[in-house]
Amino acid sequence: INDYMDERVDSNDPEEMFQNIQYQKEIIANIRTRPWPMRRKLKVLKQAREIVLKYEGRLTRTRGYQTAGADLLKKLSRVLYNIVVLFIPWEVRIKKIESHFGSGVASYFIFLRWLFGINIVLTIMTGAFIVLPELLAGAPFGTTRSKTIPKEHLASAQDLDTIWSLGGYLQYSVLFYGYYGRVRKIGSAGYRLPLAYFLVGMAVFAYSFIILLRKMAKNSRLSLASASDENFTFCWRVFCAWDYLIGNPEAAESKGAAIVNNIREAIVEEQEKKKDTSLAVLISLRILANILVLLSLAGSIYIIYFVVDRSQKLEQEKPELTLWEKNEVVSVVVSLITMIAPSAFELVAQLEMYHPRTSLRFQLARVLVLYLGNLYSLIIALLDKVNSMRPELSTSNTVRISFLATISQPEADSLSTLVSDISTSEHRNSAIATIAMVLDVTNSGRSSSGTISNQTALFEKNTRSQQEQCWETYVGQEMLKLSIIDMIFTVASILLIDFIRGLVVRYLSDCCCWDLESKFPEYGEFKIAENVLHLIYNQGMIWMGAFFSPCLPAFNVLKLIGLMYLRSWAVLTCNVPHQQVFRASRSNNFYLAMLLFMLFLCMLPTIFAIVRYRPSQHCGPFSGQEKIYDIISETVASDFPLWFSKVMSYVTSPVVVLPALLLLFMLIYYLQAIARSLKFTNNQLRMQLQTERTDDKKKVFQMAAARLQAPEAAGDKKPDQQESDVTSQEASIHTPSPRRNGSVTNFQSPVRRGNSIRTIAQSASRTDLSRGSVAGSVRSPAVTVLPKHRLEHIPNSKHVTSNIMIKKTIRPIHPVEAAGIITAQSYGGRRGHTTRYVIVNEHEPRKKLLRSATRIPRHYLMEESAEILELYPRNIKRYTPQEEEEVEEGKSRRRMSLGKAHRPRSLSDLHQPPHFYIGDRVESHMSVAKDSHAARGKYGAHVESYVKPKTRPKLETPLTESDSASLASSSDQQNSSTDQYIQVIHNKERYLKSDAKQGKLAKKKSKTSFDVNVTESNDLVSSNV
Amino acid sequence: MGNKQTIFTDEQLDAYQDCTFFTRKEILRLHGRYHELAPHLVPMDYTNDPDCKLPLALIVNMPELKENPFRNRIVESFSEDGMGNLSFNEFVDMFSVLSETASRELKAIYAFKIYDFNVDNYLCKEDLEKTLNRLTKEELTPEEVELVCQKSIEEADLDGDNKLSFADFENMITRAPDFLSTFHIRI
Repeated sequence: INDYMDERVDSNDPEEMFQNIQYQKEIIANIRTRPWPMRRKLKVLKQAREIVLKYEGRLTRTRGYQTAGADLLKKLSRVLYNIVVLFIPWEVRIKKIESHFGSGVASYFIFLRWLFGINIVLTIMTGAFIVLPELLAGAPFGTTRSKTIPKEHLASAQDLDTIWSLGGYLQYSVLFYGYYGRVRKIGSAGYRLPLAYFLVGMAVFAYSFIILLRKMAKNSRLSLASASDENFTFCWRVFCAWDYLIGNPEAAESKGAAIVNNIREAIVEEQEKKKDTSLAVLISLRILANILVLLSLAGSIYIIYFVVDRSQKLEQEKPELTLWEKNEVVSVVVSLITMIAPSAFELVAQLEMYHPRTSLRFQLARVLVLYLGNLYSLIIALLDKVNSMRPELSTSNTVRISFLATISQPEADSLSTLVSDISTSEHRNSAIATIAMVLDVTNSGRSSSGTISNQTALFEKNTRSQQEQCWETYVGQEMLKLSIIDMIFTVASILLIDFIRGLVVRYLSDCCCWDLESKFPEYGEFKIAENVLHLIYNQGMIWMGAFFSPCLPAFNVLKLIGLMYLRSWAVLTCNVPHQQVFRASRSNNFYLAMLLFMLFLCMLPTIFAIVRYRPSQHCGPFSGQEKIYDIISETVASDFPLWFSKVMSYVTSPVVVLPALLLLFMLIYYLQAIARSLKFTNNQLRMQLQTERTDDKKKVFQMAAARLQAPEAAGDKKPDQQESDVTSQEASIHTPSPRRNGSVTNFQSPVRRGNSIRTIAQSASRTDLSRGSVAGSVRSPAVTVLPKHRLEHIPNSKHVTSNIMIKKTIRPIHPVEAAGIITAQSYGGRRGHTTRYVIVNEHEPRKKLLRSATRIPRHYLMEESAEILELYPRNIKRYTPQEEEEVEEGKSRRRMSLGKAHRPRSLSDLHQPPHFYIGDRVESHMSVAKDSHAARGKYGAHVESYVKPKTRPKLETPLTESDSASLASSSDQQNSSTDQYIQVIHNKERYLKSDAKQGKLAKKKSKTSFDVNVTESNDLVSSNV
Repeated sequence: MGNKQTIFTDEQLDAYQDCTFFTRKEILRLHGRYHELAPHLVPMDYTNDPDCKLPLALIVNMPELKENPFRNRIVESFSEDGMGNLSFNEFVDMFSVLSETASRELKAIYAFKIYDFNVDNYLCKEDLEKTLNRLTKEELTPEEVELVCQKSIEEADLDGDNKLSFADFENMITRAPDFLSTFHIRI
């Protein structure tokens, strides 16, 4: 093989050399996907590298640099990849779990790791752009009012319960929105913190969306088309059942049991497709179950709302709250619900008696709704609380101010005390301070100290409530609290439900009257679906709260790390594999879809809050603004050049926005229409496939009939047949894969259906005839088998020369061949059909059919085989490199082109720039020589995939009418052309060029000569001996 | 990596990386595993391509393969002699094909080889029966096995010859949603 390549590269034509090098590089790049033994791969690789190295220098300098640069880049990327791989965490751990529990459970951990990655990025984003700048350049703690703990809270600021409920020092820290300063530019570099805060808040969502969608797209590309309605139930259960990852005896056992169950289930389903339990009872049970589920959902939502409401009321009524009352109530209740309700749903699901797969799906949907309901009711309740906080604040503020103003006029003599009061509580609102100043100015100085003290008390109280009402911080606190409590509950549930239960089952089963391990408590199962949902829920909390609490992603990273270790430990020590096998690959996208759904729904409240509510006046980076997003317009207005803001104002005007929206809608509509039509085509193709399959079966029967008519004829061919079958089979399996994907589908396109059937009928009738005419003709193995054998056993290196040898030996026979053509003329038309049929159908029965059909022209066809040997390098050689790119096209085209593609190929594709020999092509070369079956398959495949779109119309015109006529008329031209081929083969370097020239020439001169070549090759191919 | 004893030259590692789906580290780890199987047979120094083959019985005992009902077939189909004696090259090859990143087509080719017990390039009833029996540890009754074999062939056989050619098999397996994720051994 490689000598073969080497021979070709001794050229000085830079273009050719360059392409050769390109080709070698392609080999290097794709070698890992070849199904060769490693030794061969290494050898080919080495040779390819040597060639590249040897000839690269001969190229022009720029090309040399280019390639050197590319090489360097490749090397760098490999090194980088090697390094990156080192940092993928938990590889060993996941592998261990995989080997114990199979891919299902592992998919949970892989999903966890992926989420961990996302959270790392989110943490970096918030950390680098918000938290760090604030810490480094922002006003330090205690300098501004929003960064100082109010004096009356200072005493309890370090108490555990305050810290625990995220108050005190934690409340006034970078953890929460309220701490961040409102100064537009901080530090010496003028970092725009508020702007960064807003942008990062949005970027968190944007990044999550993008990464999710990309992952989903990748996954769906991997999992091919929707395979749900394919009908390979049994095959899949047999061939895809075993999880090769399993390496643990227990897991293997349970997997084996699961497979048996699965197969039995399929058998039962197959035997009786419908079940007949008392339907009425079942339906009523299901209705009942659904009602129960709905009730519990509604109940959980109500409880959450009630709890939030109650905590708010409590706060208003009592100044001093117990630890429990403060806030934990809310998050504890939420976490309890998320823990208990899924189990309740599972109990309810037992009522329904669905198929386990369906019930799993129901369960998942319900749990998802529950989680969403929880989060939503919580956030709505919180926002409601925020809502009720704000009006109270503003009204009381104004009332008080006016009150203050009116009252203070008559009583001005205790002004000094008032002022001092104000100054002691200096952290207070500046508006009030100014009022105080106004007061100071306007007051004339007469009052009674009693009223003033009264008044200041009121004042104090109001300002304090105002201080506390930083609603963003409040929401952030709630979310963080929820996340913490959730973590505690997860840990507790793992310890209690899994670990303790495992311990009890293991050690108490001896001293108990029933078998604990197999009856009641059993070992805990690892419920993949629910656990994944919990992860999703957890991530939802993070997204929901990230805007108000920038450190939430960082916290989540820690939480996920903890979860990873705890869960993997728990799984390995005290869980047994889940009985219900949850499909890993499909569920991957399923998880992601749910995560996407969650992301969207979690983004909504945040966006809503940002758009709807006014930011707190006295805390956070956006204080003093009407809306949070005003920061953008403010920046545009103040910090960008004038023209930019002008442009922005144009762009955001309805005149632009409306058409843009319209355009978007149009685009969506258009894409949707395309998607619909693709779906339609998809369905149609599937239908065709199905009808084709039934057709195939019909053909088998017809073939059987045909064989009955000519039993002896079929009989004598047997040995040859078998041999060739084996070799062709071998060849087709050993050939590299790229071209083969989907080939089967293409074999059964409907276009040829009619023809092939007709051929069968014809063949049946013709066999008698053919037997008569061919009986005495050259069927001798001397001619037919000889070239075949020679080629088979010749070492690769001599391949080409041997071809020539054969060529020469066969030359004298040409007259015979001509005669053969003439005798064969009458079959020309029919042969067209047969050929087409053969090329398309690679399968056994058809071969048999074919044998009986095409026996007639065999004698001359065989003599031609040497000719073909040289023809087909021409066909194949230059197109092979394109093959991989064109697989897609080729696949679809193959359907149309079938056997007819021969002519267009030889005519129009001669202009193609020369390409190089590939290993697999050479292989096919061999196989052509070996037997015409293989040649047919490959030849057809090559040809078909090389047809350019332009030539497609041509392909569709039937070739057959002209064939028989041209056969006789142009056999001499054809001979001359083969002469040239011989020449060409001797001189490899010029081969391609001369070939191309000749092709052009020949094309001008006579198209028919090519037709002849083609038809002959067809015949040869189909002759199949 | 570098400061220890050299197992492979950089060139070799590069070549292996080109020919497989592994990274440098993984190739070294694979060598470690290979070495572990028979420390006295496998040299630590692979720079001059020593000719060393391990018999099937040793390889099949790796924890990764031990529980696999098709372990013998896997090893056999990756050995050049068909008897299950694996050189290091073939060993790497095996795990490369079974790695996560190998393409579906490549996996399909080798899966076909694995399930083709009698190496006749067709999956016939006999092969299917063997597959099933290994898979289920002969728990199914003969009638059930018969039924399943017949049904599977019916489903996937496109040309009606009552056995599955590679084309049939590929067509079926590439549509299977689980194939990629389950035909995979993490090393």
